[in-house]
Amino acid sequence: MIETLQNLGHGFAIALSPSVMVYAFAGCVIGTLVGMLPGVGPLAGISLLLPASYGLSATTAIVMLAGIYYGAMYGGSTTSILMRIPGEAASVMTCIDGYAMTRKGRAGPALAIAATGSYIAGTLSVVGLMLLAPPLAAFALSFGPPEYVALLLLGLMVLAYMSGGSVPKSLSMAALGLLLGMIGIDPMTGYSRFSYGVVELADGIGIVPVAVGLFGVSEILLTAGQAEMPQVIKPKLRDLLPSRDEWKDAVWPIGRGTVLGFLIGIIPGSAHIISSFVSYAVERRLSKHPERFGQGAVAGVAGPESANNSATSGALVPMLALGVPSGPIPAVMMAAMMVHGVSPGPMLIQQQPELFWGVIASMYVGNIVLLILNLPLVGVFVNLLRIPYPIMYPAILVFSVVGVYAVNGSVVDVWIMAAMGALGYLLRKFDFETAPIVLGVVLAPMLEMSLRQSLALSSGRYTVFVTRPIAATMLGIGLVLLLYSLRPLLAKGADWRRKLGLEGDSIAEKEENR
Amino acid sequence: MTTRGLVVLLALALALPAVVAAQDFPTRPINIVAPFPPGGQADLMARPTAAAMEKILKSPVVVVNKTGAAGAVGMAFVANSKPDGYNLLMALSSISIIPEADKLFDRKPAYTMDQFAPIALVSADPTILVCRSERPWKSVKELVEDAKKRPDEISYSSSGIYGTLHMAMEMLVHAAGIKLKHVPYGGAAPALTALLGGHVDCMAAGPAVVLPQVKAGKLRPLAGWGEKRIAVLPELPTLKELGYNAEFYIWAGMFAPKGTPEPIMKKLRDTVRAAMQDADFKTAMDKMETPIAYLDAPEFQKFWDNDAKMLADAIKRVGRIEEAK
Repeated sequence: MIETLQNLGHGFAIALSPSVMVYAFAGCVIGTLVGMLPGVGPLAGISLLLPASYGLSATTAIVMLAGIYYGAMYGGSTTSILMRIPGEAASVMTCIDGYAMTRKGRAGPALAIAATGSYIAGTLSVVGLMLLAPPLAAFALSFGPPEYVALLLLGLMVLAYMSGGSVPKSLSMAALGLLLGMIGIDPMTGYSRFSYGVVELADGIGIVPVAVGLFGVSEILLTAGQAEMPQVIKPKLRDLLPSRDEWKDAVWPIGRGTVLGFLIGIIPGSAHIISSFVSYAVERRLSKHPERFGQGAVAGVAGPESANNSATSGALVPMLALGVPSGPIPAVMMAAMMVHGVSPGPMLIQQQPELFWGVIASMYVGNIVLLILNLPLVGVFVNLLRIPYPIMYPAILVFSVVGVYAVNGSVVDVWIMAAMGALGYLLRKFDFETAPIVLGVVLAPMLEMSLRQSLALSSGRYTVFVTRPIAATMLGIGLVLLLYSLRPLLAKGADWRRKLGLEGDSIAEKEENR
Repeated sequence: MTTRGLVVLLALALALPAVVAAQDFPTRPINIVAPFPPGGQADLMARPTAAAMEKILKSPVVVVNKTGAAGAVGMAFVANSKPDGYNLLMALSSISIIPEADKLFDRKPAYTMDQFAPIALVSADPTILVCRSERPWKSVKELVEDAKKRPDEISYSSSGIYGTLHMAMEMLVHAAGIKLKHVPYGGAAPALTALLGGHVDCMAAGPAVVLPQVKAGKLRPLAGWGEKRIAVLPELPTLKELGYNAEFYIWAGMFAPKGTPEPIMKKLRDTVRAAMQDADFKTAMDKMETPIAYLDAPEFQKFWDNDAKMLADAIKRVGRIEEAK
């Protein structure tokens, strides 16, 4: 323990030296901006800035790139809350209740809670990274294809708790998402599926254009289609800060989001996106007022926003402790190390203590910087809502197109976004929720790949999923959850969703269910 | 003036800008397209090369990452761009794989290999065969003998179906007459993660990537695919030495679209040749532990033809993978 503190002290000496501080600050600011810009997420941001880091020292480069990574998680919530446009993929869940809070005039508190939750999660998860990195990294590696299948199936169970609408509607939307996720080259055989000769579709449909289209563009279309122009919200100063009740509602979701995000983040894959979905579902499940979700529940913002921040530190665990690229973003950061002649590997912490401890210390500093940066900005951002819709919405549309295009430099992505916008508009007119589609698109390729890898490894024997302890445990939990969520379907009258007549239930459907 | 004279004059007038362009080429920034994301092999090779070329040409050389469809998007972009020397390509071995795979599946090819004119080979790193240290095999021979005893049971991970790392293993499997279980992943990074986690038994990998894991004792190298042994692991035998006819390199080379005027091609070749001698370029390659393997256009063409043929054969041997066996 004393050794850890000494090392940390040494790390702070590095992190607080002006030359490193400047880049940590730059990384945080760029990350916030990248997170805010619709479409462009941390991966695109880090990729674009990687070449600029070649001139820096290895430690400074990683400090800056890590800053972009967790900074983006702060920024991502802003547009989600204010405009219902996910600034980056992990902020999709924040759109739902964050934007609902904005419509109720509580944009300021939503932003403040998101920033505070991000700060707490960011800081606590660095503690986890610092103390537990080596043992946890070894655990992360034990996740093979069968464990992924179990985890992803567990992720699908989350669906049942994700939307306020009817379960059949959610499931059909998830199925649509899963189908969209099947587009592209079959990962095991190389056959093209549903790509109709479009080369860009060979990689499958990106999560970013789907999320921005289904959430952002559809919202703009819906607003434009209203008979009356919506009232421009004029925020008052005293409405900027969360009330005591709102803080109270946020505390536990932040705590749970932090733990969940960190644990899911460690597991290699697109962790920060899934962590936010899972956190939302958990909060809804545990809430005493599940009916408030979708209507501006504080927990629906606090949980996912904390989870995606905490997942970023989690994702760095296997990279720093073992030199294992645990996802696309750590893989880019590892390339940055290699450019500087630092070989990321199991000996990294011993061989490059100044890099490891410098990065850790810089993350403590960076999270404070981001909190200081983001809290005062709440006032500025909230005032964006004063901009009249005829000016703001076209501008948002332009930013969305630019952001989506910038990710891959692909016009096809822009078309996908437009098509998803139209689809989202239609679906929402018919009272379908769009979040399960995004979940499906995220999960489908991973689930397919892991399932088929598992079967390849087991030579086609399905028993592989129950003979491995971690996989079997997770599948068991999933089964319990599934039965639990089916219970209201079996005992119709007991379903709180219908009893309370929530947002997703159209009148026609209630008639049907009688 | 006769009509013919006019035509000649007109033709001359039209041709003139081209000649002038070749003389003071480049007049605007040159793009080097890396068909993979930043941090990938193509990008890592393109950036120091671009920096060195910039110094020599005294004109900007910009690396552009145009990604998608396993590199096909960026490669097709250069293949179909104007052959004026301003859009170049930093491609990897996979440039020869994609058209063959398209052929295999009767797909409309994204590009064909004869759309490119080689400028220079920059690096060519042989892959090395690594297995988990816990596994019993101390040599390729032991692995092969074990694989013969239990065909289709020893597993290996790869960067993807028909991907470069799959092809390397396929060459070994063919040369040794064994059967291994192939588990494709979405890229070399997750394939390595799976190997380190013990979910597969071995894989072919770039030396720079696995060297730290080898040094830490997590992975055991068994052999290399090169013609010669690699500098960082001088004790490691090559497959050829061991009697297996398998040769494979993860190489990176620069291409221009076919039809680029000869004077511009010459200038580009001269520039790249000089860039390879640049001190900063050498330092950058050293840090990445990637040896420079420069070949000028004619030799590179020969190297490429040979490599493409070996890959095409490997793809044909794998053939289409039939479902539900």
